[in-house]
Amino acid sequence: MSLVFRHFLATLTLSLGFALMLAGTAAATGRLVADLSQKDFSITTSFHGTDLLLFGAVDGQSGDDLIVVVTGPPTDIAQRRKANRAGIWVNVETNIWKQAPSFYRILSTRPLSAIATPETLAGLSVGTANIRLEITPETAAPNAPKPRRNDYINALQSNMANLGLWPVGNGDVSLAKDALFRARIALPANILSGTYDIRVIHLRDGIAINEDQTSLSVKKGGLSAQIYNLAHKYPALYGIFAIVFAVVAGWLAAAAFRRG
Amino acid sequence: MYIYLPIAEISMHIGIIIGLGGGVGFLSGLFGVGGGFLMTPLLIFFGVPPAVAVATEANQIVASSVSGVLAHMRRGNVDFKMGGILLVGGVIGSSLGVMLFAFLRELGQIDLVIKLSYVVFLGIVGFLMLLESIRTIARTRKPGARRTKLHQHNWMHGLPFKMRFRRSKLYISALLPLGIGAFVGVLAAIMGVGGGFIMVPAMIYLLGMPTSIVVGTSLFQIIFVTANVTFLQSVQTQTVDFMLAGMLLFGAVIGAQFGTRAGALLRGEQLRGLLALMVLLVCAKLGYDLAVRPDELFAVELLK
Repeated sequence: MSLVFRHFLATLTLSLGFALMLAGTAAATGRLVADLSQKDFSITTSFHGTDLLLFGAVDGQSGDDLIVVVTGPPTDIAQRRKANRAGIWVNVETNIWKQAPSFYRILSTRPLSAIATPETLAGLSVGTANIRLEITPETAAPNAPKPRRNDYINALQSNMANLGLWPVGNGDVSLAKDALFRARIALPANILSGTYDIRVIHLRDGIAINEDQTSLSVKKGGLSAQIYNLAHKYPALYGIFAIVFAVVAGWLAAAAFRRG
Repeated sequence: MYIYLPIAEISMHIGIIIGLGGGVGFLSGLFGVGGGFLMTPLLIFFGVPPAVAVATEANQIVASSVSGVLAHMRRGNVDFKMGGILLVGGVIGSSLGVMLFAFLRELGQIDLVIKLSYVVFLGIVGFLMLLESIRTIARTRKPGARRTKLHQHNWMHGLPFKMRFRRSKLYISALLPLGIGAFVGVLAAIMGVGGGFIMVPAMIYLLGMPTSIVVGTSLFQIIFVTANVTFLQSVQTQTVDFMLAGMLLFGAVIGAQFGTRAGALLRGEQLRGLLALMVLLVCAKLGYDLAVRPDELFAVELLK
């Protein structure tokens, strides 16, 4: 038997085995379908955060769990650390988290620690500590000690939680009759526009057996969007407009009060 | 009712915005200062990103200054020649200031520089004004107190390019108002203020202008300096929130009208004493924040 043929056989066996394994998984778990009450919405002037309903059906058994991960559009996040220098607290270093999620929320049927082991969750990339965020130094004091990654990611999580963008806590997913699930996704007023990915993971005995994905599109709309676009596309015109408006408003007010 | 601000990208209650505008506008009319040194820290306190607060405040001060200066113009309390020279300096200074602002923002030190500028300049100005007004009040209460000279002659009167400012009753070098204008312009751009709180004392104590025309002249030149900052920030950083400025100025122009009237009821030294106390209060608050260990040593900013 030639070497090439043996290699071919090995590959074939492997591929077949993999296909069978996949078929087995599908057969064992059936279907998982998730959808949103709203697939898109606009950030208009009246926007003050919103609630979405995630719902769907799962071919489940008693004791099954669901984890829902909502990930906002990626953005660079500057992280600054303060230290005392000559009696005042100043920023001594800046690091950039490259393309980190601008929003991150986990919802689940039970607390995560009760659903799966930390290793399983890491394997599933569930949790901001498990999504392989990349940190790059922007400015650092000379001879500064190397950033300890854990400190920095803990601080990032805490800061983002305070902003309401990486909220923590047990977001509830309710699973009725092991088949129908629903979860309320609350989005705060300071979210970025872009695409929000929503992953639904079906777990049985601490092991992921199925997954579905849906997404949400958030756009700027109405007057709010027009002002934003004007400011970014025609900044000089925008600046002149802002000045003229201010002058006219100031003059009108003075005139109104003079008569009154 | 909440309103979503398109550039600041936050949602704020409309009552807070208009209330802030009205309250600060009243004080700005009362003291003849833009009110920016109160408004900018307040906006940051309410969650507006510092860069947006500084640039937007410049836009709003344009309106409140226009509204304020018209009242002073009717009473003939504006020295246009002096204002013109101050504003030439101011436009040069504020252009440099906007560049410096962008540079410091990139370094991640803009917050520190904003706060330090506030502490240093508010501290100095507030302290000097307070001393002066206490002294004046004490003197007016003492009968038969001696009058001091209008102003002393010193090195500043030896500078070239002397000009006569009739309205201010001054014959001084044009370099003085030009330099003061430029210096205040830099601060205006960095601190998100009109600079009145420095300009007014500088006009009184350094230039020796009569108190009656100082406020109107200061407001007059502030219009141009803040208009320049508004334009440059719009072009360079896109941080002028037109909607926020519009609502702030709605409150502020109304507040400023009442403030200007209330100001006519008070004596000059009383006004300066009150302003000094307010300035020192803001200074103390910001200084305290810098000196005390923050709850969070880390802070994040989303770089959209």
